[in-house]
Amino acid sequence: MWKRIARVNALVIKEFIHLRSDWWLPAFMLIGGAMELLLIGWATSRPITNLPMLVLDQDRSPQSRKLIIALENTETFNLDTQVEDMQTIHDRLERGQINAALIIPPDFDQQLTAADGQAALQLLLNGAESMAATNALRATEGLVRELGLGITLKRLGMEADDLSGFDPSLRVWFNEKLSEALYTTPAELGLMLEFTILLFAALTFSREKELGTLESLLVTPFSSLEIIIGKSIPVILVSFADFLILLAMVHFAFEVPIRGSLPLLLLLTLIYMLAVLGIGLVISIISSNQHQAFLLVMIVGFVDLMFTGYAAPVESMPAFLQLVAQVVPSHHWMAILRGIALKGADLSALWPNVLALVILGLVIGTVSLRFVRRALE
Amino acid sequence: MPANATTIIAQGLTKQFDSFTAVDGVDFKVRRGEIFGFLGPNGSGKTTTIRMMLGLLQPTAGSVEVLGVNVIKDPGDIRQRIGYMSQRFSLYNDLTVRQNLVFSGRAYGLGNQELEERLRFVVRLSGLEGRENARTRDLAGGWRQRLALGAAILHQPEIVFLDEPTAGVDPLSRRAFWELLYQLSAQQVTIFVTTHYMDEAEHCHHLAFIQRGKIIAHGSPEQIKAEMMSGDVLEIEPQDATCTVEALRSAQARGELPVLEVTLYGSLVHVIAPQVDQHLGAINATLTAADCRVANMTIIEPSLEDVFIASMREEQI
Repeated sequence: MWKRIARVNALVIKEFIHLRSDWWLPAFMLIGGAMELLLIGWATSRPITNLPMLVLDQDRSPQSRKLIIALENTETFNLDTQVEDMQTIHDRLERGQINAALIIPPDFDQQLTAADGQAALQLLLNGAESMAATNALRATEGLVRELGLGITLKRLGMEADDLSGFDPSLRVWFNEKLSEALYTTPAELGLMLEFTILLFAALTFSREKELGTLESLLVTPFSSLEIIIGKSIPVILVSFADFLILLAMVHFAFEVPIRGSLPLLLLLTLIYMLAVLGIGLVISIISSNQHQAFLLVMIVGFVDLMFTGYAAPVESMPAFLQLVAQVVPSHHWMAILRGIALKGADLSALWPNVLALVILGLVIGTVSLRFVRRALE
Repeated sequence: MPANATTIIAQGLTKQFDSFTAVDGVDFKVRRGEIFGFLGPNGSGKTTTIRMMLGLLQPTAGSVEVLGVNVIKDPGDIRQRIGYMSQRFSLYNDLTVRQNLVFSGRAYGLGNQELEERLRFVVRLSGLEGRENARTRDLAGGWRQRLALGAAILHQPEIVFLDEPTAGVDPLSRRAFWELLYQLSAQQVTIFVTTHYMDEAEHCHHLAFIQRGKIIAHGSPEQIKAEMMSGDVLEIEPQDATCTVEALRSAQARGELPVLEVTLYGSLVHVIAPQVDQHLGAINATLTAADCRVANMTIIEPSLEDVFIASMREEQI
């Protein structure tokens, strides 16, 4: 037994020497990850403003001017130019220079002031940038609804105070300021952790195959299990340290809270890491060189990413994909991370995800261990 | 184990890859303490045979026993007792000399004291004293080969398998490397070495020629020369080697000279023929007619290269 531990220890030391001489790779994963997090965090921590917009005011009345000023005041739009013809709007939309265009018809003022008038506005949106378009639509709709309410009151001959209608009181839980950063940075953190483990694990065997040293390692008294353990320990240690640093960054720089139990989060993260490690080792053993391993990591990583809810909520995916998401460890781990960090959830709320993660960890761990052992023997 | 005991027995060893037979029913025995040379051109099945003996590759048929262990069934049982130096450089380039040796030693379970002793021995043996902390990638080819051998014998194995250990190494380093092999052999370590260098083959105690997966000759270098050489070798020292070879070959093609082979041997020309001494006149006449001047002509002992080329030629015919 001591001999086994001494052997594994020698392998761990050797792997760390490799990591030290290839220091740029862990450094890249850490610094690159940190920069990515900062960028995503900052870019998404502010509300959307300054969308370039053009207005074609065919009415040129006090009413239309009032509307334009109100639009400017929302700060969603950047309205520095007015144009005279549709052609300019058409061209600019096509070139992507503007996200939205508002066309005010010639009879806007007339329709607005007439007792039975039907005022109309035309809003053109650049649907190719759906996020900007959605925000532009939301801002315009809000403004027009307010305007419409004002007109209704005026036509009824009432003051705003005379009408106490339905006043919704909104309260957002878990992310009071509705900061996008609270949503995006944990997702980015998950992405970084996944890629770090996958990449380091994928390089373990593929590097030795490429250099031709794996064969020499296999004729030594190392058992396949000892080789796997010895090669996994550095991967887990480095990735876990990486995760802790990035988690601290997300917490302090973007005020992502950790409302639940940190030890529970770390424990479940370790289980998640073992599952990803298993996938990475399988990639490593089936690749004959580091390039192949790297490309496979990219494919697996980005497919996994789809199920973390980063790009689109899993709940809105087709039923089949929702089913697939259930067997993707990162899907459950992201739910746990968000649950513990943002909602302060504990096991009583998270148990379905925890159970799924543990089962997936066990299954993927066992299957990949067997697969890699057989490949080594 | 008594001296001269058999350490490796291969019987009918065969490996097929799809429809290609890489090793075809190979039989051989290796005795303890001998340098066994496995000789053959590239792609003849040398590496495949070694990999089967190490338990890295499952044979299609046949059996191989190393140190009394059935390698096909229990490949793990011999690992502590053998050393292996693969065709590609088997050490880690980014580790230092010492780090590489320590890793090898630990892999074989050497304790601290034993490891330090063996380390000192191997460093001295490979002439790397004072360079223990040099990165392996910074060593010249010859040193790296000796270090790789050192790493393979650190745990004092009973057999060392060397797969083309001197490929791409300069002649002086090759000589130094073979000196090390002699030393090991003198200590009763069995050495199984593959090579395609004929001069190295002369250094082996026992040889097996493998070609297209089959052993076409085996025995001591002397036996092989005696058995396989169907002629004598005339060494000609010409002034213009090209002229000499062309003149003799065209005479051979016209049927005027009953010689088997005319080959360029460095700046010399070797003519292989049965009873070559009876054709000296004809050879001289041919060369004079072609106006090729000759400084010297002697009948010599055939080298293994002569034998190998002659036997390969017979195979082709």
